[in-house]
Amino acid sequence: RTTTTTRSAPAPPLTPSTFYLALMGCPCCRRRHRCRSRTVARALAPTPTPTAWRRRMMPRRKRATPPRTRLRRGTPSGTCRSSGTRTRSTSVTTSQRGRSRSGTGRAESTASSAAKITMMTGTRLKIWDDYNAEEVKITKEEAKIISRMMKGKTPHANVDPYPDYVDWFEYADKGHPLSNAPEPKRRFVPSKWEQKKVVKLVRAIRKGWIKFDKPKDEPNYYLLWGDDTDTADNKRQGLSYIPAPKPNLPGHEESYNPSVEYIPTQEEIDNYQLMYEEDRPKFIPRRFESLRSVPAYEKALREGFDRCLDLYLCPRTRKKRINIDPESLKPKLPSKKDLRPYPRTCYLEFKGHGGPVTSLSVEATGQWIASGSSDGTIRVWEVETGRCLKVFNVGADVHHISWNPSPERPILAAIVGRDLLLLNAEVGDEETQVRTKELLHVGEPTPEDDGDKKPAVRWVNNDKFDGITLIHHRAASTVEWHSKGDYFTTVVPTGESRAVLLHQLSKKHSHHPFRKLPGLPVAAVFHPTQKMFFVATKKFVQVYDLQKAEVVKKLESGLREISSISIHPGGDNVIVGSKDGKLCWFDTDLSTRPYKMLKNHSKDITSVTFHRRYPLFASSSEDCTAHVFHGMVYADLNQNPLIVPLEILRGHLSSDRRGVLDCKFHPRQPWLFTAGADSMIRLYCD
Amino acid sequence: LSRMGLSEIVNSLLLSAEPDHQAQPFDFIVDGELVRMPLHQFLLAKGISAERVLELEYIKAVAPRKQEPPLPHDDWVSAVDGSNPSFILTGCYDGLARIWKDAAECTQVLEGHSGAITSASFINKGVETDGSLHVVTGSKDRSLRLFKFDTSVTIGSSKRIGAYKILPGHTSSIQSIAVDPSRNMICSASWDTTIKLWAVEGSEEDSDTVSVKKRRMNSDASGPEESQLEGSASSTLLGHTQCVSSVAWPEQRTIYSASWDHSVRQWDAQTGRETWNMFCGKALNCLDCGGEGSSLIAAGGSDPVLRVWDPRKPGTTAPIFQFSSHSSWISACKWHPSSWFHLISSSFDGKVMLWDLRTAWPLASVDSHKDKVLCADWWKGDSVISGGADSKLCISSGVEIA
Repeated sequence: RTTTTTRSAPAPPLTPSTFYLALMGCPCCRRRHRCRSRTVARALAPTPTPTAWRRRMMPRRKRATPPRTRLRRGTPSGTCRSSGTRTRSTSVTTSQRGRSRSGTGRAESTASSAAKITMMTGTRLKIWDDYNAEEVKITKEEAKIISRMMKGKTPHANVDPYPDYVDWFEYADKGHPLSNAPEPKRRFVPSKWEQKKVVKLVRAIRKGWIKFDKPKDEPNYYLLWGDDTDTADNKRQGLSYIPAPKPNLPGHEESYNPSVEYIPTQEEIDNYQLMYEEDRPKFIPRRFESLRSVPAYEKALREGFDRCLDLYLCPRTRKKRINIDPESLKPKLPSKKDLRPYPRTCYLEFKGHGGPVTSLSVEATGQWIASGSSDGTIRVWEVETGRCLKVFNVGADVHHISWNPSPERPILAAIVGRDLLLLNAEVGDEETQVRTKELLHVGEPTPEDDGDKKPAVRWVNNDKFDGITLIHHRAASTVEWHSKGDYFTTVVPTGESRAVLLHQLSKKHSHHPFRKLPGLPVAAVFHPTQKMFFVATKKFVQVYDLQKAEVVKKLESGLREISSISIHPGGDNVIVGSKDGKLCWFDTDLSTRPYKMLKNHSKDITSVTFHRRYPLFASSSEDCTAHVFHGMVYADLNQNPLIVPLEILRGHLSSDRRGVLDCKFHPRQPWLFTAGADSMIRLYCD
Repeated sequence: LSRMGLSEIVNSLLLSAEPDHQAQPFDFIVDGELVRMPLHQFLLAKGISAERVLELEYIKAVAPRKQEPPLPHDDWVSAVDGSNPSFILTGCYDGLARIWKDAAECTQVLEGHSGAITSASFINKGVETDGSLHVVTGSKDRSLRLFKFDTSVTIGSSKRIGAYKILPGHTSSIQSIAVDPSRNMICSASWDTTIKLWAVEGSEEDSDTVSVKKRRMNSDASGPEESQLEGSASSTLLGHTQCVSSVAWPEQRTIYSASWDHSVRQWDAQTGRETWNMFCGKALNCLDCGGEGSSLIAAGGSDPVLRVWDPRKPGTTAPIFQFSSHSSWISACKWHPSSWFHLISSSFDGKVMLWDLRTAWPLASVDSHKDKVLCADWWKGDSVISGGADSKLCISSGVEIA
């Protein structure tokens, strides 16, 4: 039965090489003759049937005779490393391998031994085994087998390669059953016990003992060693777990015995030494003969120490760090493009003064500007060309200059030396000139009735300039006109009770209504529309009602020393510049404290000014810059004024540690004039 | 391959055609635009495919080739008029207007103004009426003066001439004057925000009908006492809110004015109505009309950009051209009297620049002034004259415009 399986292909012809294999053993292991003989037998044998498999699985029987001389069919497997299901093709492969290896005398001996066998067939059954160097006798049965094999037949004569097919199973029904007894009655009667069981179940369901939608049992096991970092209930309270970064999987080059192409040449290793420490490769592949010869990790001690140091020095408390985008802390300001026009670039320079330009003033229409300088001159300039129209050589330092805001009265008020000089600027048509000349003439001076005390101010005609000189009792510092152009005020800082003086041009009259002031006065300005008056002392700004002659408000600046003041054209907002480089914006309706304090200059602020039409204000400082701001005051009282810094105007040079001494806006254009200590006036345009 | 290489090619071609050809620079036009960079860059910038056949049109390069000796003045030169091919009229800050014959010698000095002259213009531009030319000047002393001078004066003596007519009426300094194309009317722009129209001849013909006109003896005029007429404005154009800095009268009916209130307005000269108003955002100093059918407006002002608008474009105030190579205020701009494309601009940075509408780069820049340039004009169609704060009138000639 073992050989009854059909074979599709006939047995392969026995070539000399296969035969040699049959005799000389398998070249893959070359260990034993047993292996060799088995390989040949397997090569010659038909495909193993299930029975053959079973037999192969059985333990090998010991044989008394050494089996190397015999060719047996179906030798059980065991010793050979090559797999048990090897077929003919495998043996051919081995033969090829053997052939490829045979480059020496071994191949010749193979050929010679094969020749010997053919010679001896049928007659003398002896064969020489090179390997064991002995002669092997072949029995008659073996010789028969060999001859059959050489003919391409099955080795055993009683094996029929093409037997008839036998079907082992029967499908036809046999006539008799096992028992002829009739079916019992109980097979047809309903079961009493089943009924009882059903009644029980029904009752249990009705009473609710059996529940169909039972909640699933939660598994009451847990991960003993499992990864529990991700689960929310295992989050630690203190230091939160920061998983270490995953290391990369090792590649071929990290093998103990990598291929040659991974090994850097000596030249490459030398190049590594030239590289920077950071750029150098962390791992250089090396080859070792065996895993055993791999040395210990050389940095183990160092890294262990570092790790301990890390653990030792690691902070035990977690720092609270708030990640805030610094951009988000900035207030939302409109872009500068939307706030145009504002002065940006200097296009015109007014050159001519021989000393620092201390003060400047723009005429009401914006056609001319006047400037006073320490070189003892007052100059009148044409704005559109930058030409100097007139020079008044007054002969003393000009501290402050102010143009009459009324276009019909082209009169300049200037603090020259310690007194005030009213000048006819000699611009405007003939009628205006006549009226101005009349205005600038003092009649017979009426002696004041002070008697014992020297009068605060004396109005005296100035013949040199066809103007009026107001001789003050002490040195005056600033002069400021009322918007109508008739009243003006001068400040005498050291004047004590007569420090702030009000003058009326048409009546040539002066008085000093403010007796008590909180500190030395610095500047005084009129309210642009109402009958109010602002006096800035060193630390405070007093707001007076001129009709009631009383203090309405006292603004506390908190500054060290106020240097300048300007009133918004609306009248409710005041900016104050100080000598410590700070600028305060007061909203007088809001509070007596500053609404905004801007620390923008590094040195003293010399002048602050509002634009009369555009929502602009500017400050000039001794640090040679002027800053321009957008200062929008809304009609809606609930909305706070919007202040946006716009531009830093540079260009003036420092002279004797003084920078920009005055700044004034053009009354109609968004232009800024700055007067510098470098004896230059600059016009910045949009 | 840039302009120079292209010019060399054209010159060599022309030389092969006619042997006595003089090599000269050329400008090249591609699709109505001047080539101002190497040709491959130009193609890249304009997105023109290199596969296409490129049509290059060549014209003579427009640039001043010669600097004439400057004409010295006593003070800043604030006004210049070069509309007469044989005389140049200049106005000066010392209150005197001067007539220069053939850009060489001052033949007449027109006196009478007590303030700086801001603008001056020939009334009968090229034509002489009975051997004399009429001139109007506007000054900072709030008056206009009309002068008449004889053209056949011998060279060698500068004759002093007084005005034959004074036109007072403005309450502030006059900034600009313009004469209408028919030579009968003058309009003047002033700091007092008004534009006034004056008749040139009207008061002489029917002197009795003008009520304000009075005859008076000019006492302060030196030499023989001569009579002076006074005229009054025939109409006043109100509307500007700030100083009107410049006026132009290109056609009989329309007057353009530029002002410091950031607007350019168009007026109907007959009715005195404002017909068009454009807000431009900058205070303007100068304005001129020219271009195709003298319908484009060029204006410059308190920034270094010379802008050109097309008033025929409805609903937009965006300038169609912007030239921004100057570095300071622009003080004057003038279109070429015959060319549609060329204009000059002068600036306070001391430069006079020559522009072509077909390119954004200046064709040429005249740097002969040491200080601010206050006025500039074309003369004889091929010269650029400019006066400045260095008290000189510079003449750059040899501008060949075909």
